[in-house]
Amino acid sequence: MSDAAMTVGARPGARMEESPYGIQSKKLAMWLFIVADSATFGAMLFAYGYLRLANPDWTRPFAFWPAIANGLAMTVLLLTSALTMVAAVRAAQAGEKATSLTWLTVTGLLGLGFAVLHLVEWSGLVGEGWRLFQNPQGGSVLFGATFFSITGLSLLHVIAGIVAIAVVATKYRRGRLDAGHVETTGLYWQFVGLVWMFVFPLVYLMNAR
Amino acid sequence: MATRVARSRPTITAYLVVWIGLLLIVVVQVLLTYARLPAGRLLAALLVLALVQAALALFYFMNLKYERPILFWSLIPYLIFAMFMLDHVWPDALRLLHQRLPPS
Repeated sequence: MSDAAMTVGARPGARMEESPYGIQSKKLAMWLFIVADSATFGAMLFAYGYLRLANPDWTRPFAFWPAIANGLAMTVLLLTSALTMVAAVRAAQAGEKATSLTWLTVTGLLGLGFAVLHLVEWSGLVGEGWRLFQNPQGGSVLFGATFFSITGLSLLHVIAGIVAIAVVATKYRRGRLDAGHVETTGLYWQFVGLVWMFVFPLVYLMNAR
Repeated sequence: MATRVARSRPTITAYLVVWIGLLLIVVVQVLLTYARLPAGRLLAALLVLALVQAALALFYFMNLKYERPILFWSLIPYLIFAMFMLDHVWPDALRLLHQRLPPS
């Protein structure tokens, strides 16, 4: 194997065979995490789907205004943040640090907007009497259990993503992290958006009245 | 040492087109919701559209289309297999079909 096809390891002088995937190990690790986390969300959404179809008297609490409209706004924010994250990664790969940092900031702010809208919505539902195991409308308690657990896990991922973006942007600005770290963070953020592409239709739209 | 990029990346215009496509799919999902379909058919339609969205995000925003094919073949078939097992073979999924919890 030629020198060009070898990568230099962490220890000075150590030489390792090139990855068959042609990507950095941290990026491969993120892909493996994404696949594992997809199975977690998949299990929750499948369980929810079965419960939803098996219960004809399922409570559907969401009117178009404000619940579905709010969900739409959250979706637009997250999809737009996916695009701005792409811009941040491209700029980082092109060596345009200032541009990349600007797009990372915009992405973080869009994510923050999503989280705030989500918490406002939760606050409204809790104010109406919805709990994990309580239905203020007197029907099955399953809606609260599935809604808060699925959207809670999704929100946790979004908040973790915002923190990750803030940390990576700060260290990238100081030169302690490189474009590869921005790309790996971007991969995680795109996954967060991908999860929401299933949560919004299945958990919100399926419960619209 | 940075690893080499497998294939060239698309232009920002291509990403914009994908973003608009994703938004349009959301609009179709909302319109379908208020078309008053039976729950089973609505769930199936929304799932298919969500899968199209996921594929677009996976291949373009997550750049899987521009990585080496071995990355796709190492990850996605396994994921589809795991999802299939979860949905069709996992006994708990079938048990949930018969689960009825009392009102609160």
